[in-house]
Amino acid sequence: MRRTKGEELNEKVVVPKDYRYGTNRPWTIAAKRLNPPGKRRRKVFVEPIAPEDWTVLRGDTVEILAGKDKGKQGKVVQVFRHRNWVILQGLNTHYRYIGKTHDYPGTYIASEAPILLRDVALIDPSDRKPTEVEWKFTEEGDKVRVSVRTGCIIPKPVVERRDGIVPEQWKDGPKDTSPEDTVEKTFTPSLKTLEEEVMEKLGIQENRRQRKSYWY
Amino acid sequence: MPTISTVGTQRNNKDCDSFTRRRRRRRRKMAASSMAGRVLTLCKQFQNVFRISSGINAKNAAVNLAKHYSHLYSPISSVSQYRTLHTTISRRGLDEFFDFPENWGEETVKSGAPWSAKHLRTKSNEDLHKLWYVLLKEKNMLLTLEQESKRQRVPMPSPERLRKVERSLIRLETVAKERETTLRLLQTGQEKGRPGAWRRNVLGYIYWYRFKEYAIPWYMNTRYMRKRFYTPKFVEPHIRLRIEKYLRDKYRKTNLKKRTLAKLKERFPHMKVPSS
Repeated sequence: MRRTKGEELNEKVVVPKDYRYGTNRPWTIAAKRLNPPGKRRRKVFVEPIAPEDWTVLRGDTVEILAGKDKGKQGKVVQVFRHRNWVILQGLNTHYRYIGKTHDYPGTYIASEAPILLRDVALIDPSDRKPTEVEWKFTEEGDKVRVSVRTGCIIPKPVVERRDGIVPEQWKDGPKDTSPEDTVEKTFTPSLKTLEEEVMEKLGIQENRRQRKSYWY
Repeated sequence: MPTISTVGTQRNNKDCDSFTRRRRRRRRKMAASSMAGRVLTLCKQFQNVFRISSGINAKNAAVNLAKHYSHLYSPISSVSQYRTLHTTISRRGLDEFFDFPENWGEETVKSGAPWSAKHLRTKSNEDLHKLWYVLLKEKNMLLTLEQESKRQRVPMPSPERLRKVERSLIRLETVAKERETTLRLLQTGQEKGRPGAWRRNVLGYIYWYRFKEYAIPWYMNTRYMRKRFYTPKFVEPHIRLRIEKYLRDKYRKTNLKKRTLAKLKERFPHMKVPSS
């Protein structure tokens, strides 16, 4: 049967091993146009950074150390872990035309180019200068980012959830369980299986004996 | 009617080549009491006849039990993140397939987070059982909504609710399975609930063969008897070639990893070598 557009977009995209990841996500039409199946491009070497060592998060303010907008500070909008890229809002831009038709030349917009993680540094909140950052544990046991130069803790950026919900301002709907009921512990460990316990509670008595069956 | 005598003769008439010889050697122990076995099976056939009639009565009993069950399925005080307390059970039943009337025609419906496995583990078995059905009814309601919106060619309001409910159901199932496996481990020392065995197949692979439930024993099952759980002699050279191929592939992969690591070191001298 023919797959509908919605189903085509929702199905899982199989990505080959030597796929060159770009700024477009692999399941979008733009990515499919740039990387059609069977296309092989020159391999791009990406410095391996372990997930626990990744310091830059979405929403952080960082400073650019090299390139066109050297010395400028900006907010991180997108992070690409597979290429060690970071896109800052309004920085490192190039200009292009978008929405070009036969007679209309198109809108002239500024589009940001991705910057390598190496050319970017987190900003120390105390003196607002770029520093090197390490992950360290506090006395309570939380993992925090600590600047190497001053020892100041860099707090995690507050990012808006994709569904627009702010957990502090949430009000339960009619079908939601209250937080107290969710956290309430009713489990008592016992040697009965779920089925036995439920049968006991509901008063079901199983007097039938199972017919002899063979397992092989 | 059972053809016990014919089964016996069939076995004796089988070819005496090497392929069946091994099978007979394994089954010899079981064929020791074949005569007694035949008599037993005859009696069992009659027993089965009686059992079928009692089975019909049992079915009626099950129906009665189901009626009792729904009556005992009382409204719940502490429930899912997906259903509130209802003071009456809707006896008509069909309105549970639809959302609350105030949500009809809305573009988006607010919904909370799905149940997490951590919270489900703190709930008792009875609560989990009730929660399962509550979530199931919610899922049915959302599926009818989805189908109806497809029919009307209108976008479904808040389809993420369906995914949340499905995730909660999956997590509930994992928690229930966890509890079952721990109990089984404690009492029997085995993790797997379904019996099985390590067996060799015709191509030389040793795999975990999971047992199936049958009504007749293995020596009466003609289709099972035709299965071969051994490797013929002519397959052995191919097994060796397969092992060679696997080793070649393994060494190629390790060498590739070493080469890429060397190249990365060349380009990024200050990089940290990944531990894996």
